This record gives sequence, C-alpha cells and structure tokens, in this order.
Amino acid sequence: MPYHQFKCSECIPERLKHAVDKGAGEELTDALPLGYLNTIPGTISERGCAYCGAKHVIGTPMKDVIHLSHGPVGCTYDTWQTKRYISDNGCFQLKYTFASDMKEAHVVFGAEKMLKKNIVEAFKAFPNIKRMTIYQTCASALIGDDINAIAEEVMAELPGVKIFVCNSPGFAGPSQSGGHHKINLAWLTQMVGTVEPKIYSKYVINYVGEYNIQGDQEIMKDYFHRMGIQILSTFTGNGRFDDLCSMHRAHLNVLECARSAEYICDELRARYGIPRMDIDGFGFEALSDSLLKIGYFFGIEDRARAIIAEETARWKPELDWYAARLKGIKVCLWPGGSKLWHWAHSIHKEMGVEVVSVYTKFGHQGDMEKGISRCEEGALAIDDPNELEGLEAMYSLKPDIIFTGKRPGEVAKKIRVPYLNAHAYHNGPYKGYEGWVRFARDIYNAVYSPIHKLSFIDISKDEIPTDRGFATQQMYSDVNLPEEVKNNADLRQCTSKYDPIPALREKTYCFPAPETGEWRVIPNEELSKKNSGVA
Amino acid sequence: MNCEIKSKDRIGVINPIFTCQPAGAQYASIGIKDCIGIVHGGQGCVMFVRLVFSQHFKESFELASSSLHEDAAVFGALHRVEQGVDVLLMRYPHVKVIPIITTCSTEVIGDDIDGLVLKLNNGLLKEKYADREVHLIPIHTPSFVGSMVSGYDIAVRDFVSHFAKKEGEVSRKINLITGWVNPGDVTELKSLLSEMDVEATVLFEIEAFDSPLMPDGNHVSHGETTIEDLRGTANARGTIALNRYEGGKAAQFLESEFDVPAVIGPTPIGIRNTDIFLQNVKNMTGKAIPESLVRKRGIALDAISDLTHMFLAGKRVAIYGNSDMVIGLAQFCIDLEMLPVLLLLGDDNTGYANDPRVKELKENVGFNMEIITNADLWELEDRIKNKGLGLDLILGHSKGRFVAIDNNIPMLRVGFPVYDRAGYYRHPIVGYAGAVWLAEGMANAIFTDMEYKHNKEWVLGVW
Repeated sequence: MPYHQFKCSECIPERLKHAVDKGAGEELTDALPLGYLNTIPGTISERGCAYCGAKHVIGTPMKDVIHLSHGPVGCTYDTWQTKRYISDNGCFQLKYTFASDMKEAHVVFGAEKMLKKNIVEAFKAFPNIKRMTIYQTCASALIGDDINAIAEEVMAELPGVKIFVCNSPGFAGPSQSGGHHKINLAWLTQMVGTVEPKIYSKYVINYVGEYNIQGDQEIMKDYFHRMGIQILSTFTGNGRFDDLCSMHRAHLNVLECARSAEYICDELRARYGIPRMDIDGFGFEALSDSLLKIGYFFGIEDRARAIIAEETARWKPELDWYAARLKGIKVCLWPGGSKLWHWAHSIHKEMGVEVVSVYTKFGHQGDMEKGISRCEEGALAIDDPNELEGLEAMYSLKPDIIFTGKRPGEVAKKIRVPYLNAHAYHNGPYKGYEGWVRFARDIYNAVYSPIHKLSFIDISKDEIPTDRGFATQQMYSDVNLPEEVKNNADLRQCTSKYDPIPALREKTYCFPAPETGEWRVIPNEELSKKNSGVA
Repeated sequence: MNCEIKSKDRIGVINPIFTCQPAGAQYASIGIKDCIGIVHGGQGCVMFVRLVFSQHFKESFELASSSLHEDAAVFGALHRVEQGVDVLLMRYPHVKVIPIITTCSTEVIGDDIDGLVLKLNNGLLKEKYADREVHLIPIHTPSFVGSMVSGYDIAVRDFVSHFAKKEGEVSRKINLITGWVNPGDVTELKSLLSEMDVEATVLFEIEAFDSPLMPDGNHVSHGETTIEDLRGTANARGTIALNRYEGGKAAQFLESEFDVPAVIGPTPIGIRNTDIFLQNVKNMTGKAIPESLVRKRGIALDAISDLTHMFLAGKRVAIYGNSDMVIGLAQFCIDLEMLPVLLLLGDDNTGYANDPRVKELKENVGFNMEIITNADLWELEDRIKNKGLGLDLILGHSKGRFVAIDNNIPMLRVGFPVYDRAGYYRHPIVGYAGAVWLAEGMANAIFTDMEYKHNKEWVLGVW
C-alpha cells in the first residue's frame, strides 16, 4: 500500500488514507489520497471555513466594492488585512471592511431590518461606491435572514446601486473550498449578463482564478495587453464589479487557479459557449506554453512568441543564476490548493529543486492527481494536513525549505526550516517571467540565509567557528559550484525592482479594433479603470 | 470644554476595532500550560484567530476546532466536540486542560456543552483516560455578545472558577491578573513585584510567547501558567486585576467565593497609575516600595521630562483599542500635557459610562474630548476626512494603520494586534519602563513625522 502512516496519527485510523508516498513505478491511481472530506475534529487542521473561501479568497479582491459581512463582527475583522491582494485603485478592498455587527437581540428578533440600515449607512459613508457584496455568515444563515430580499429592497430604493449576495456560511463544506464553489455559482447566476461591456479588441478574454497577490494579475495583464488582448474582467484580483457582470461577452476564459474558479468557467462554457483554457502564470516554460496557447486560439501566436522571446532573454539569465545554486534543494511544497500542481514540476525543472512533499489544505482529489503526477518519486503527499503530521514530515524529510502559509511557517522556523509564504509571497509578485525570478531569489535568500545557518550551532556544545566575521549567501551557495558556473558572465542575480507594479500601470498598449482589426492605442484610463468607483 | 461619552450612532461597523468573544477566550487559553482549546464552531473561528496571533507574535499557537460542517449545523454538533476531545487527548499526551469555547453558530443551534462536559467526565475520561488529569471547561462566548475583551474576561473567570480551590492557610502570594497584555508587560510587572519582594501568581505567564529558536527545536509557543497556579488563586492574600474589563470578573469571583480581597485597576499605564499599582501592592502585602523602584521611577521621570513641555504638550491624540488600555493611555497622555481628544472603545459594554475613570475625565478634562463606545475605526477616519478633526498622533493597533498612513498622521502602534512593526510585543506599555517606552515612542513618531513633512525639523538639532 502506498498510504503513509504517520506515527502521530496511528490513533486516528481514518487519517491513514489521507497521505501517500509516491512510490517508484506506481500508477497515479494507486497513490491518490482521499481528499475534500469533512475534517476530523481536534486534529488541529489548517483548514479555514466556507465563509472565508467565498469572502476572503474570491469576493474581496474585487476592488470597487463595499464588502459587507452579515453577522457578528469577528468574521469581518478576522479576514481583514490578512492577504496581499492589491489593486490599482488605492487598495480600497484591503483598507475597508464592513460588518453588520449582529448582536444578541438581532439573533433573537431577526437581523433583516438592521441589515438594511447597514447597507444604507455603508453607501452613505462611501458615496462614490455603488457596488456591494453581502456575505452571509454562520450566524445569519442559522437565523434564516433573507439577505437577497433585503438587497432587492435596497436596490429598488437606491437607484444606481447594485448588490451581490453570497450565501456561503462558514459551515458550508469541509473547508474554504466550499465557499469558492458557492460564490462562483452565485456570481454567475446573479450577476453575469447584467452588464453589456465596451469591447475594444478583436480578442477578448476573462482572466479567471487570479487574485492579484502582490501584483500577479498586473504582471500577467501586461503580457495579454501586449498581445492585443482585451481583459474583459478578472475574476477577481484587481477586478471591477461591472466588468465581472459582463463575463458572458468574452471569447475565451483563461483560467489560472482551477481549484477556486473552475466552476464559473465550466458554467460559462455551458451557458454561453465560452471555451475554458487552463493556463499557468508560474514558471518560464509553463507561462510560455500558456501564452502560446492563447496566441494559437486567437491566431496571434507570433505576438506571443515575440513576448516569450523578449521576456526570456531579459530574465532567463537571472533565473539560471539561481537555478545553478538551488539544484538539489529539498522542498516541502505545502500551499493551500492549486499551487502544489502549479509549482511542483516548474520549480523542479527550472530551479532544480527536489519536491519531497506536497500537501493541500482544501484541494480535492483532482488537485492531488495533478500535484502527485508532477512531483518527484518518493514524495509524500498529504491531504488536509495537521500540525503534528506536518512536524513529523519535516523531521523525517528534512527539507531545506517549505512553501506554506504564514502561521505554519512560524512552526517550521522553530525547527529551523526556513519558509516562504506560498499564499501571500515574501517579495512577490511571483507570476510572470520577472516574478518567477523573484521567487527563485526569495528561495535562494531563505535557504542560504546566514542567520539561518547560525541557528544550527549549539553554542553550549559545538565548537564555535571563529574564522569569519560575516558570511554572504554566496559564501554558502557557491562552495561546491564549478568555476565555470561561478564565473559565468552570462548569468546574473535578480535585477527586478522592489515594486515592479507601478511602472506597469503607466504603460500604453495598442489593440486591434473589433470590426476593422486596425491597431490603435487605447487610453490607459480605459484599461485600468482606475478612475471609476473609488475616489 | 467638555468630555462627552456617547455611542456610535451608526448600526454597522466599518473597519472594526475588535474581533469577537471567542478570540478573547482563545487568547486566555494559550496562556495556560498543557492547554489546548477546542473552539466549537466553524473552522475559520480558529484558523483566523491563530493567524492574527501569529501576525502579532510571529509565533504559532495551538488551538483546535470542532470543525462544524453543514450536517452538524443542522443536527447538532456535540458529537464533533466529543470526537475532538478524544483526538486531542490521544495525540497530545501532555494536554491536561481543554476549554471548549463556543461561538455564534454553536450558541445559536444551542449545543449543550455543559451537559457534554458532564457526559465526557463520566464517560470518555473515566473509561479511556482514567490515569490522566484532564479538565474540560465549558466557556460560553457567543460572538454576538460583547467583544474579544469580554471573551477574555469570561474565559479568565471560567478558568479561575474551574480550578480555584481553598486549601489550608492563606499564602504569601498575591494574584496578579494582567489583562490582555504582551510578554514585555509581564516582564515589567514581574520586575516591579520582584523589586518589592512580592510573590505573585501571574495570570497569565505569557513571557514565553516570545519564544526562542532553540537547537532542539521547540515548535510552538505557549504560556506557562499551571493548573497549580490556578488552583492556588483561592489561597492568595489578595488579587490585583490590572484591567477592569479583562480579568475583573475573575477577581470578583475570587473575592465573593473565597474572600480573596480584590483590587481592580487602575491599568498601570503611565507614572501615576504605576504609582497607584505599587501602593496597592504595598497595602495588600505590607511590603515597602524600595529605593530601587524610586530610582527606576526617577529614570522614567528624567526621560519623560525631556519630552513633555518641549514636544508633547498640546499634541492632539486619538486612541483606540482595548478599553482599559485606551483609558490608561488617555490618563497618561494628559499627564504628559497632551490632549487625547478622541477615545474609541470598540464594543457596547454599558459599564463604560459608569467607569470611575471615565467619570473623572468627564469632570476634569479642560478640553473637548469625545469618548465613543461601540466604536469602529470609521468614527476616527470620518472625523479626520470629513469633519475637520485635526490630530498630531494616533495611538492604536495595526488594523487602523491606513487611517494614519492615508492621512499623514504619525502613529505609535500599541495594543493588539501589532503586526506592521517588528517586536513590539517585547516592549512593555505598563509600569515605569512602559511609561518610558510610550513617551519616547510617541516623541520619536512625532520627530520622524516632523522630518518627513519638514515641519520645524530643525528644532531637533539643538535639543
């Protein structure tokens, strides 16, 4: 059996089938852990809830929207300012959060009236914003408030205002994934088709499952725009509410995070006949393939090739500088859902690291299928990991680094495994050619951190080296490097600026007119819509 | 010129100051050794609270969830707690204390956790864990009542009331209930007591929250208050609860149940409140205030005197956060010749109006001061952006950082959570050391701002 028996979980036999070792020559079907099942209580799982999956992951990155949670204040507070989904309108969605602040009397007597007052108050406080999403929570779901009815009432009374309702209470599913599903379908059924967009290009896509973490969306948007492709909407990072209401007019859905957003793509295909194309913004090869695929779809593969050539020439020497120094580094790839398969093969192939373990907190079996097929033999795959299993795995696998969330990262730090933030990134963006180099640089810096190296010395027992007053990363990374690599003048370290995003926002792009195909400049404001919505 | 206390007139919350009750109970629980709480509710109620703790401390803390899913929400979820307790006990052999912390969802569906604890005590614990000391403690913290502050207060009381046991003579020790503080605060408080040669049971011993990275690998941070400490609280010669709203209930409980005299407050922020704290300790223990503390106080006075008239006088400050802290900071600011013009208390506790410290402010403040209860951060931002409130400084936690950033107002991070400054949990705001840290921190924030804005930055050259 390929199942991996954690010692710490011997007492809960139902955990056995949630972890596998990818054995030599094993069929994928032999090595597939169970996934997306109810969590075993008391395991100290790392999963969140369906409310956060809907609100925090997918809903809130929309940038020109009042995000109001209907419930006690905690759900709102807790999911506020804990992610890095930026936007080009001053990050309204990061800075402001709204709670209806349900109290005991509301639980007893109903909270619909106060919800209505809340909505009116919020619009009054931000008169320039006319769009709102209301998120149900456990409390409002259990007392049975009809949020949709209240939203309808307000929309009838306040002309120009649009409200989207997402009914995804925290308990709705085994993890945050339940919330992804619910908000996907709710957006599709309530909102898509309610706005007719302005089409200014022959090539029109929705960019789906992309949350603009540290600017990922904006770095990818640059490539699409250079190809002449109009991004009708982004679901949802840096996305506008009204753009997302017009998703039905795209020619193609370009899907990045299939875990959180494949549902809406599949429904858009079923209802509007828009094809779904899964792409991958992480990794030079995967990204190049993705751009090329999109190019082929529209018959503009030459434009894709030009971008690929230009970007590769610009950034590959920097990636390779790190790749030469990361070869053989052991990685636990422990993200939330989709990055295990977005990253597993690319970091191995392009940076030379060995993926010794993958895990997913809220992924389904499909994610594991993809992840396991793309990671190395012998790798340990864990579904719905918990604290003790994570520790046991790290002690036995002895990774050089783990890619995971902030809090599990603190656990790893304590046992002297450096971590990179897989959700929010250390110094992202990580998408795009430039982003991928930034990722490699961050891995390099973490693995060869002089302070990290010092943590291995026990001054009470070990002989303390007295021969150097400092160390650079290179003094560690280049020790066994062949001279020709060490001195390779074609390779260089990352030259990306601390924040590469503001410059992108100033760029101008040409697009082919839908009717004539004539290429002309579309003004920046039209593209970024930065003047809409928020003051 | 007056001080007005009123409730926010909007019903909703725009940018909350507090999270909800279960978070407070969770914060109390991590202070206890061999304790892992089970939060009875959706997984987010734990996952995000653990996250905010780790944002603040840059450490990971253990808390479990009953992982309420759909079926449980419909049919009741007690079996999830039963399983959770068993799983936790099986896998964490050192665990002795398991608070079962309710949330909005499990209070709405009406799960009887008190009954469940009885059942488990007589069933699971006897059958499977007979040779093990295990305490299951139901803690009711519905999220739609109070705030994280009251959740903390309730949990401290419930822990104390569960364990406290009168045994023999009154001990020499006093109980020191710190309220929601940082490791740096506990260090300072213990140093003050140790200078006075006073032994105390500190609730909670959280200095270890600032945990080291050790050669042997110590994967979590945890508080160090033991069951024995909690048991002994009934035997103490007195209780000093520094914060009225965070630990006051436990002090009252010990007084009414075991005749342990209670002194509640003041929050020892600033020189004056620290003086009162020491006086209270002296009264309770008969121990003198030693020369070393006169000296320590002198160092603080010396440092602060350099700042008050020249730089801090007349500076208009807004303060938000945990209520006792906000009031303590306001009092200290007034002693520093500053003008705390706006205090924001983030929940609807009806006791604030009758708080003697608030009454004192109302009677004596010689400038316009507003105290807003049930407040949110929009009360602050709206006044700045739309109502002409001019401020020189903001004191509060990181969730309000953008108010300061976007309006170009200097800010000293203080309270919980502080995640956008490094290591603040290590520094006290209480005691004489806290007074110095606060006064210098405020001054330095103002200095940096003067330099960025070229606002008389040259005065600092000959200071």
